[in-house]
Amino acid sequence: MINWLGVLIFLLSGAAFGVIGIGISYLIQPRTKNRYKLEVYESGIPVKASAWVRFRNQYFTYALIFVIFDVEILYLYPWAVSFVELGLSGLIKMFIFIFILVLGLWYAWKEGAFEWR
Amino acid sequence: MHIDYSLLSTEIALAILGLIVFTLGLTLPSRSTNRGLGAFAIFGLLIVLGITVSFWGTQAELLAGMYLIDNFSVFFKILALVAAILIVFGTMSYANNNLSRQLEYYSTIIFATLGMIIMISAGDFITLYIGLELMTVSFIILVAFRKTDGHSLEAGIKYLILAGVSSAVLLYGLSLIYGATGTVYILELAELVTAGTISPLLVFGLVLLVAGFGFKISAAPFHMWAPDVYEGAPTPITAYLAVGSKAASFAILVRVFVGGLAGMQEQWATLLAVLAAISILLGNLVAIPQTNIKRMLAYSSIAQAGYIMVGLLTASPEGIKGVMFYAFIYLFATIGAFVVVCAVYEKTKSDEIASYAGLSQRSPLAAAVMLISLLSMAGIPPLAGFVGKFYLFTTITDNFMWLVYIGLIMSMVSVYYYLRVALVMYRDEPTDPTPIKMGAAVNVTLIIAMVATLVLGIYPTPLSELSNIAAQSFFTW
Repeated sequence: MINWLGVLIFLLSGAAFGVIGIGISYLIQPRTKNRYKLEVYESGIPVKASAWVRFRNQYFTYALIFVIFDVEILYLYPWAVSFVELGLSGLIKMFIFIFILVLGLWYAWKEGAFEWR
Repeated sequence: MHIDYSLLSTEIALAILGLIVFTLGLTLPSRSTNRGLGAFAIFGLLIVLGITVSFWGTQAELLAGMYLIDNFSVFFKILALVAAILIVFGTMSYANNNLSRQLEYYSTIIFATLGMIIMISAGDFITLYIGLELMTVSFIILVAFRKTDGHSLEAGIKYLILAGVSSAVLLYGLSLIYGATGTVYILELAELVTAGTISPLLVFGLVLLVAGFGFKISAAPFHMWAPDVYEGAPTPITAYLAVGSKAASFAILVRVFVGGLAGMQEQWATLLAVLAAISILLGNLVAIPQTNIKRMLAYSSIAQAGYIMVGLLTASPEGIKGVMFYAFIYLFATIGAFVVVCAVYEKTKSDEIASYAGLSQRSPLAAAVMLISLLSMAGIPPLAGFVGKFYLFTTITDNFMWLVYIGLIMSMVSVYYYLRVALVMYRDEPTDPTPIKMGAAVNVTLIIAMVATLVLGIYPTPLSELSNIAAQSFFTW
């Protein structure tokens, strides 16, 4: 049980940081209320309209295609870091991997996912 | 680390086949020329089947036990591939006429098969889960394949949500077992879990595992997705769900429970026995009032899952042999029935049992195959289903006699609704007496299914011997 004491202290001091910080600022802050204070982004860009606008569902194909590149980077980066150790076999495997991803891109292209209609 | 890739030839060949079908579909100029893809897929699957058969007798592990190759896994891989080949072959004209996108259809079927095969060979929880998800995601796409049909989309969404929930439950169960034992390898698990070392955490994990696998094999009370999904999905996919997905799920159920958690047999045997009993009761009783043949077959497949589960209870080679034997004969009976459903749908555009009126006059072969398949599922001798049920139920006469009684009584009940279809086919006059023309591929598939069901019922020794050998190899790790 003594091993967990550290965790308990960590949790308590973490909570204390938050409570004390907010508590002190609550006690000493100057309180002024005006129109600008109540904006969604204080000191930011003026709000034009509601965020609940409708946008085209074709965006979802872009999100899907983004995943192709996302996954590509996810695996290319660690490979690049250990390029020397993995050597030729790593290069071949990476080409197989990219080939499969490119097939997906090719398919999306053929299906017209890049055309904005 | 050195990896012997030759042991993975089945998986690599299947992945390459899937990619080739996909690339071919992309490069062929128009949708109409894509019709050759089905034939190409069958040709490729036959080659992969040949590679898989050549692995019979190999016993090896890869990556320190992450991947297991033994006769048990080879047997189930052959089963999955035979199911894929027969279904693609027997329903090619249905797919050509009713499903517009051949490229996606065939490549996704191949990737679903790949998922099954990875799952069957899995030696640890991670590989198991990857295979399972590859199969499930492919099936979600396939179930919702008829984009313009509301039923198909509804089935797809139901399958998506329930597959997600069941995967979450399964993963949680696996994580608890990992937490309790500190290993994800099934073979190591078998050494760690012995009668004296069972913690409540492990039992909790086990219960969640039963629930997760229960969804996949559509055992009651986790069966509720099956009827709707079976009804809404394109018929070939329904057949593949009923055969391939279920067989692969049973393979890992056996692998994890009998292979990994045999030390806890006391804990899970009763649980599975109750689940089997509920499945047999509910599947057979609810099948009675169904008017749609796909729904009826869905409930009957819930009952069949209950029968197959019986084989696990004793965790003995005889029981596993029963599971394997029954899974294989269930394949032929189910594919026979569903290929007939496909052929009839093409002509009548209906899956209602009423539209089978006078099928014996319109197409004697289809009616005969339907009859034999249904009687085999009911377990009438001399058809294969009888032998299968005999193997399964003889293993549990010592400990679970009550389950044997339930099984026997419910088999009799099932004869009622199976024969109701036969009655409609043979007694009623057809509303439209024009004969149903079926292509050569459909006829060949139907004859294969019928002959296999008959022959394995009269002379079950070869398959019985093979499943015996496969069951033995499972226990030699």
